[in-house]
Amino acid sequence: MRHTAAVYGRSLAAHVKSTMEYPADFWIMASSGALWQVLQFAFISVLFANITTVAGWGYHEMLILAGFLGLSGGSSALFWDGIWSTPSMIVKGELDYRIVRPAPVMVQVASSHIGMQSFGEVTLSSAMLVLGWTGAGLGLDMLPLALLLLACACVIQCALLTAMCAIGFWVKGHFPAFAWIAVDLQRDVMRFPLGIYPPLVRLAATFMLPFAFASFVPVQILMGRLPAWWMTGTIAVTVVMVGIAVAVFRAGLRSYDSAGH
Amino acid sequence: MTHTLAVDRALAVLSIKRRLAYKGTFFIGLILGGGGLLVLMALWRHLLGDGTLAGYDWDAMRAYQIISFITATMAFGAADWYIADRILDGMVAIDLTKPVDFQRARAAEFIGSMLATVPTAVVGGVGAWLLFAPPGPVSPLAGALTIVSVLLIFPLVFEVVYLSVMVCFWTKRYLGIMWAREALMSFFAGMMIPLAFMPEWLRAIAWATPFPHYTTTPTDIYLGRVDTLGALGLIAAQAAWVVVLWVGARLLWRYAVKRVTVHGG
Repeated sequence: MRHTAAVYGRSLAAHVKSTMEYPADFWIMASSGALWQVLQFAFISVLFANITTVAGWGYHEMLILAGFLGLSGGSSALFWDGIWSTPSMIVKGELDYRIVRPAPVMVQVASSHIGMQSFGEVTLSSAMLVLGWTGAGLGLDMLPLALLLLACACVIQCALLTAMCAIGFWVKGHFPAFAWIAVDLQRDVMRFPLGIYPPLVRLAATFMLPFAFASFVPVQILMGRLPAWWMTGTIAVTVVMVGIAVAVFRAGLRSYDSAGH
Repeated sequence: MTHTLAVDRALAVLSIKRRLAYKGTFFIGLILGGGGLLVLMALWRHLLGDGTLAGYDWDAMRAYQIISFITATMAFGAADWYIADRILDGMVAIDLTKPVDFQRARAAEFIGSMLATVPTAVVGGVGAWLLFAPPGPVSPLAGALTIVSVLLIFPLVFEVVYLSVMVCFWTKRYLGIMWAREALMSFFAGMMIPLAFMPEWLRAIAWATPFPHYTTTPTDIYLGRVDTLGALGLIAAQAAWVVVLWVGARLLWRYAVKRVTVHGG
């Protein structure tokens, strides 16, 4: 475990160093990540200049929701962005090299890249979260719970991404289409309270592809809209999702046939 | 047909075929665009109910969102990466040796790739039309002018993309540039929220850019939020942007192309 963590850390650090070789690219990526969050903030502010609530959620609660969604998404780009290249590595036969190395293949792939946009995304999402937090009157005593929920959200996000990208072991193609569709739909659907959607969509977002546990459910727990036992449910979903992601990736590796050279 | 037009057509057809060869793009565009459309429909149905906000009732908002879906599909679905890659991998050096105008050739390819998004826009648009039954244009003339406005989006989107892609002469990657452009475009076009909801100062900033002509201009004309004279004024402004950005791109190219470094071998 310690060895795996060391490999993961060194691999990410190496990528950060290579990224910093091109400072213009870093700043453009970080700025674009920040810009999306600024415009998300502007969207919520413009919307709430015309209305008072969305499905019972006020302005500051919506900021917390948007901040949490941005933080969980940004964190996965920061810590697990390389997983997006899984389908491409499968098609090019680039997993061969990683399979013979003495470290888990999934960890090697995930740490092979870092989403530079996440620096801007995480910073601005944190600002939105703090603004919403203070505006909604939440105390600092909730901070440990928020950090635990955020950690769970980040892990769920990474696990879902891993499982979606691992579909590339069976449905071949350079492009991680399933992961891309899932993440894009998540960004669209989860930026609003689930109360505005029909029951079927709410169920699907909570239990089929449990994206709700990466933003909506944790924020509801923080706001006291859901009973405390949902915290246990969030941890259970986190464990189950990690199990599913590892199982799908391992099954994929067993069916991996190298492209050959 | 002159030689130059024949080249334009050949490049456009090639680009259409290249895009249509990847059937998955069609379905991905439909799922993503359709998903986004359904989310916004759910939001506005919830918010508007039987009332109005910023001059939009549920009928008007349905039409707005469907037109926005169609224009967004065209604007986001075209092959901007193809131009960026030519600059980033140095193929632009080969292009400089060809007896074709670089900007015009890329315009033909890009508009060809935009035409390849039409099946996605049509299938999604017709599906949404049948599902949500939005009102028709406020008058036949408004309908015709809406079509003119949508057609002007083709060169306008190309020029904005082309100008942003030229930043690749100074960078090693394109992704961040694309994201930044798409973020600004979504917001200031009115794809995220209609401009009528924005405060005066933010609307002024939006109208100082070409982005509102992607969505707000065609929907304002379609819904009769501007009279005929106003519609003609908006189309004139849209056409003016097309001319100004085309010339601006030529000027920037003269400067940017000096950054090309060809490593011989």
